Amino acid sequence: MSTVIHPGPAPGARQLILNGIFAENPVFRLALSLCPAVAVTTTVLNGLLLGVAVLFVQVLSSVTVTLAKRLIHPRVRIPVYTVIIAVWVSAIDMSLAAFAPALYAQVGLYVKLIVAFAIIISRLEVFASRQPLVPTFFDGLGMGLGFLLALLMIGAFRELLGSGSFAGIPLVPGKPLLFFALPAGGFFSIALLMALFNWIERRNQGGRAGPAKSAGGHGV
Amino acid sequence: MSLNVIQPKPRLSGRELVRIVLSMSVACLAGAAVLGLVYLGTDRYRRASAEAAERGAIHDMLGLEADARLLEVRQYLVPGARRVVYRAAPLGATSGTAHEVTFTLDGALAGERDVPVAVPVGKELTPLGRMFVAARAGQPAGFVVQGETRGYKATIRLFVAMKPDFEIVDMRVIELQDDPGLGAEVAQPWFREQYVGRTAEEIARLDVTRDPMPEDWKQALVALARRAPDGPARHRDLLQRERTRPIYAVTGATISSRAVTEGVRKTVDHFRRRWWLLAPHLEGSL
Repeated sequence: MSTVIHPGPAPGARQLILNGIFAENPVFRLALSLCPAVAVTTTVLNGLLLGVAVLFVQVLSSVTVTLAKRLIHPRVRIPVYTVIIAVWVSAIDMSLAAFAPALYAQVGLYVKLIVAFAIIISRLEVFASRQPLVPTFFDGLGMGLGFLLALLMIGAFRELLGSGSFAGIPLVPGKPLLFFALPAGGFFSIALLMALFNWIERRNQGGRAGPAKSAGGHGV
Repeated sequence: MSLNVIQPKPRLSGRELVRIVLSMSVACLAGAAVLGLVYLGTDRYRRASAEAAERGAIHDMLGLEADARLLEVRQYLVPGARRVVYRAAPLGATSGTAHEVTFTLDGALAGERDVPVAVPVGKELTPLGRMFVAARAGQPAGFVVQGETRGYKATIRLFVAMKPDFEIVDMRVIELQDDPGLGAEVAQPWFREQYVGRTAEEIARLDVTRDPMPEDWKQALVALARRAPDGPARHRDLLQRERTRPIYAVTGATISSRAVTEGVRKTVDHFRRRWWLLAPHLEGSL
């Protein structure tokens, strides 16, 4: 598993954000939260909306945990993290329902599922519970952005191939490869994009590095 | 804090146990407090936007002017007494009076009274559905009726809008869990536009076909769904050709297409029968 635990001094803000987007991208590198990544990414807009919700939940939960870490008893830290995530997910769920009902009608079902996203709780455990406020904020931001960008890419890929449109605007008549809009096609899309991600990274390293770090991991 | 997940854990002392319980309790209490505050801050807006969206959809479907009167009629079942209660009040009203009409299950009038809108209905009443009556000069100008049907995965809820003579003027799928790209296509404007303009008698005999939809008709439906005033005139020939034909199912989603058609059929049929009973008692409220 390429998730690294961060007990030592944290790198700078820019480094942390880039880390979330590239080196430890939640979807393409850590392979966490793949189920929701498959469920919502039939279109770009759905991916964008859920990505933004995850970004908020990740930052708010990380900040809460780092501020309250002295109060959380280590033996019950996982249940407490779950409660913290659930609180922020519910708060965002209620706010979306109140202020953006049209968006909520589309993603409401999936927003509630963020409680069970492995990426969020794993960042709380490996980073927020060991680091001070400022690095934790940027780690949450980086991870949220990494997830958001991954969902956008998968959404664009699947909508383009599955429905022949982009962000709801039809580009080609009919459905070129309907398969990609179906759940199984989602996993293939992620695999293809992950391969692309690995290829780009190896090219950038000029072929110096050996095989890309294997992205192992499991969780919902 | 050190990583202690792999080391054997020491036995819990009593004090430790109390601290664990306290830690969890404080977390839950703080969470509950945050959620309570968020709820208090957002609930008003949530309700207002839900109601505005509903009102907008109804106006839109019936093509009403902004100040048209809308009456909301809620239908309840009184389980023990085998009675059906209809409660009618202006949409969104929080004060004033509601008119309540009660029928037995065979359609005989069992009671009629006025109650303040603020008084909630009894807890034992089971909600059966809602309908909205638009009124112009004391006469019904159109109806929007909520209906439901069993979809491919879960219940599909829909709104059917009708003229006073029960001809369909619009249809909306408001709740749907069928697959995006397949069953969920029944919510697309071109699909629902197929029902528009059919009379209640035609709807009662309406069938679904798996034949592919002719490309010119699909384009006409997309155009008609935009509700341009000259739309029906421009597509008159196609409308004449297609209105007598069955509904074209969404490719790969025959079950969802049949379910929606069945839902529209049932909704219109039930509403027609109910309205004959109810109309004489609602004249005062229109």
